[in-house]
Amino acid sequence: MATGVLEKYGARQRLLDSDRLLAAILIAPAIIYIVALMGVPFVLSIYYSLSDVTTGGTDAPFVGLANFRALIGDPTFLQTLYNTFLVSGMTLLIVLVLGTIQAELLLRSFRGKWLVRFLILLPWTAPVSLSVIGWLWMFDSIFSPIDWSLRQAGLLGHPGALLGPATNLYWLGSGGLPMASIILVNVWRILPLGTVIVLAGLNSIPREVQEQALVDGAGYFRRLFQVNLPMMLPIFGIAVLFTFVFTFADMVVIYILTRGGPANSTHVLTTLAFFTGVQGGSLGQGAAIALFMFPVLAALSAIILMLIRRREV
Amino acid sequence: MRGTKHEQSRRTESCTRKGGHISRRTFVAAGSVLGVAAAVAPWVITSARAQDKSLRILQWSHFVPSYDTWFDAFAKKWGEENGVRVSVDYINIADLAATTASEISASSGHDLIELGPEAAQFEPSLIDMADINQEMAGKLGKPFRVAERVSYNPVTKKHYAFCHGWTIDPGDYRKSLWEKAGMAEGPVTWEDLLNVGAKIKDEQGVQVGIGLSQEIDSNMAARAVLWSFDTSLQDEGGTIVLDQGENLKRTIDAVKYMKSLYDRALTPEVFSWNAASNNQALIAGRASYILNSISAYRSAQEARPDIAKDIFFTPALKGPGGTGWGNVHVLYNYVIPAFAGNNADTAKQFIAHLVANYDEAMYQSKLYNSPSFPDAPIAGGQRSYTAVAGAKTLNDLTEAWFENDPFKLEDEADGKLRVLKSAAEWTTNLGHPGYANPAIGEVFSTFVIPNMMANVARGQISPEEAVKDAAAQIRKVFEAWRNRGLVQGG
Repeated sequence: MATGVLEKYGARQRLLDSDRLLAAILIAPAIIYIVALMGVPFVLSIYYSLSDVTTGGTDAPFVGLANFRALIGDPTFLQTLYNTFLVSGMTLLIVLVLGTIQAELLLRSFRGKWLVRFLILLPWTAPVSLSVIGWLWMFDSIFSPIDWSLRQAGLLGHPGALLGPATNLYWLGSGGLPMASIILVNVWRILPLGTVIVLAGLNSIPREVQEQALVDGAGYFRRLFQVNLPMMLPIFGIAVLFTFVFTFADMVVIYILTRGGPANSTHVLTTLAFFTGVQGGSLGQGAAIALFMFPVLAALSAIILMLIRRREV
Repeated sequence: MRGTKHEQSRRTESCTRKGGHISRRTFVAAGSVLGVAAAVAPWVITSARAQDKSLRILQWSHFVPSYDTWFDAFAKKWGEENGVRVSVDYINIADLAATTASEISASSGHDLIELGPEAAQFEPSLIDMADINQEMAGKLGKPFRVAERVSYNPVTKKHYAFCHGWTIDPGDYRKSLWEKAGMAEGPVTWEDLLNVGAKIKDEQGVQVGIGLSQEIDSNMAARAVLWSFDTSLQDEGGTIVLDQGENLKRTIDAVKYMKSLYDRALTPEVFSWNAASNNQALIAGRASYILNSISAYRSAQEARPDIAKDIFFTPALKGPGGTGWGNVHVLYNYVIPAFAGNNADTAKQFIAHLVANYDEAMYQSKLYNSPSFPDAPIAGGQRSYTAVAGAKTLNDLTEAWFENDPFKLEDEADGKLRVLKSAAEWTTNLGHPGYANPAIGEVFSTFVIPNMMANVARGQISPEEAVKDAAAQIRKVFEAWRNRGLVQGG
C-alpha cells in the first residue's frame, strides 16, 4: 500500500515537473485569448453571414449566399467598397510620403529635436475616440477653429474671399470635404506609427553603405531612391501593412465624424456593417458586409509578408 | 526516472531548494488552480447574485440631467421599501440598440431596458408584457394612441414593450427674427417656413435649422414633411405606399420641397449634423427655426437666457393639404429581456410604481416627459412641486403647467408652452399611420428617408429617382422582416 502511495506521489511530481505541461500552461492564455476573442467570433461571423440572424434573437436560419448576393447589386454597398479602398489607399500614400520626410528630418541633429519627436508621437498616445471627438469640434459647422482662423486671415466669410463668402467651410457636409476630412484624421493618427517604422528602417541601413554612396558622388535623391528605399523595402512593407490594416478595419473615425453621411457618401465597410447589422437589426446582412474585409486583408497580409520574407532571404 | 535532462535536473533543484523561490511545481500547480478559478468564478458570482432580489435597469441619459438624479433616488427608495436591490445604468441614447443587442446575444445583462422604437427589432427575445399593459389601461384609463403602436405587434399579437411616456417635438423659433420678417407667431405651414425662413436668411443672415443628415432629428424632420404632404412609408396595414398611387406625386413634392428649403433657407452644415447640432445652432443664435423637443429651450435657459427668452414654439407645420403631423420626439419603451424572466414580476412592479408617480417624472424632466396615461390620477402624498389647484389627473397637470411653465425664467413671457397642450392631436409615431415595427426601425436606423431628401438637395439625383430608390430599399427591408414573421402587409 505504501508503495502505491509513493508511486502515486511520484507520478504527480513527474507531472508537475513535465516540460510539456509547463509549456502548455504558459502558452495556454495566449491560445485561449486568440481562440476566444478572434477565432470564435470569426467563425461565428462566417456562419452569421450565411444566415438570417437578427439582433432580436439567437435563431439563425441558414440562407446560403443570399446576404452576399443582395450586396452585389446594392449601390450603397458598392460606394462603400470604393470608399474603403479610397480612404485606406490615400491614407497609406500620404503616410508613406510624410512618414519618410519626417523620419529623414528626425535622423538629423537639431535643437529641440526632442520636442519635435514628442509632438510627432503625440497623436499616437491619445485614445483614438477622444482625439477624433477633438477633430469633430475642429470641423464643427459653427464653432470650427479652423474656419475661425481662416475668417481672421480674411480668406473666408466675406464677399470676394478666396474660400468663399460663407462663414464656414462645412468640413463634414460640403462637396468632397467630408472624405478629405476623414483621410486627414486617419493620416494624423497613423503618421506617428509610419514615421517610427520608417525611422527604424533608416537607422538599420549600414553606415558604410551610406558613406560609400557619398564617396561615389550620389546626391540626396539618388541615395534616397537608389540606396535607402530599396534597402528599406521590408520595413516599408511593415509600414504599408500596418497603415492599410489599421485604416481598412477602422470604424471610429467615420462613426464619430460623419456616421457615414452625407447621404451614405462616406460609409466604409465597418460602419455600414454596424448600421445595418447592429443598429438596423439585420445581423446576418451586417456580417456579410464585414466579411468583405477578410479576403482583402488576408491577401494583402500574405503578399506583403511573402515579399518581406523573399527580400530578407 | 523518465523525462528530459532538463526535467531531471529541475527535479533535483526543486527537491533541494526550499525557501525563498517559487518552485516550478508550485508555479504549475498554482497556475492550474488559478486558471480553473478564473474560468469558474464568473459562474459562481452570477449564481450567487441570482439568489438576491435585485433589479438592474438600463436607460438612456436623459436630455434633462436633473431627471436622472431624481430617477436614481426614486428607484432606490422603491427598492428599499420593497426589499429589492435596484441599480440604474445610464448610457447615451444612440448606444442603446447596440448594448441591448449584445446583452441579448450574451443572454445576460439588465432586467429592465428602456428603448425607443427600436424595441420592435428585439421582439423575439423579449417577454410579453400584455399583462402590465392591460392592468395599467384598466386602472389608469386608455393610453395615448401612439403608446400601443410602438409597443404592440399586430402580427404576433405580442406586447413586446411598455411605453410609459413620450416627448413632444414642436417647432422652436426665434420670435425676434420672425417678427422682423412679418410673422411674429412663427410659421404655420411648411410653405411659411420656406418663404419667410429664406427671407430671414437673406435679410438677417440666420438660416433655418432642419437637418438633412444621418441622425435622429433629420430622420424625424423628413418624416414630418412626408406626413404633412399626406404621404407615408406604409399604410395602416404595413403595405409600402411611398411610391404608390397618389402618394408618388406627394412624396416627390415633399422631396422637391426639401430641395427648395435647402437651396433657399439652409446651408451645407445640415448634411453633417448630429443629434445635438440643431440645439447648438439655436442656442448659438445661428438658427431661426428648428424641430426639436423643449430640451433645446431648457438648455438655452441655462446657457443663453437672452436666446431662451426669444424662443417660442409652433405646433406641427401644415402641408399643402392642411395636414400637420409631428413625430414623437423620443419615447420611453420599457422591455424585459427573456433572459431576465425570473425578475419580470419585480420589473413590472417597478413600472407600475413609476406610472403611478408619473407627475414627478413630468416635473423632474422639466415637462420634457409626457405621460402615456394622461387620465391617470395624481398620486397622493408629498410631491416635489407646488400643488396645482383643481388638478386631479396628469392631463390636468399638463394643461396647467403648459399654461404656466413652472420653469420659466423670471422676466420671460407667459404661456410660451401653451401650443403644446394640443400636442397629442398632432403627434404620431414612426410607422404612421401604421405600427412601428422592426422594418420601420431598420429603415430609420439606416437613414433611408433623410438620405432620399439629402441626395436630391445635394443635386446627386432627381426627386423621381430618389423616391424610386428609397421605395426599393424600403421594400427590401420590409420583405426580409416579413419573412421573419414580424411585419404585417405584403
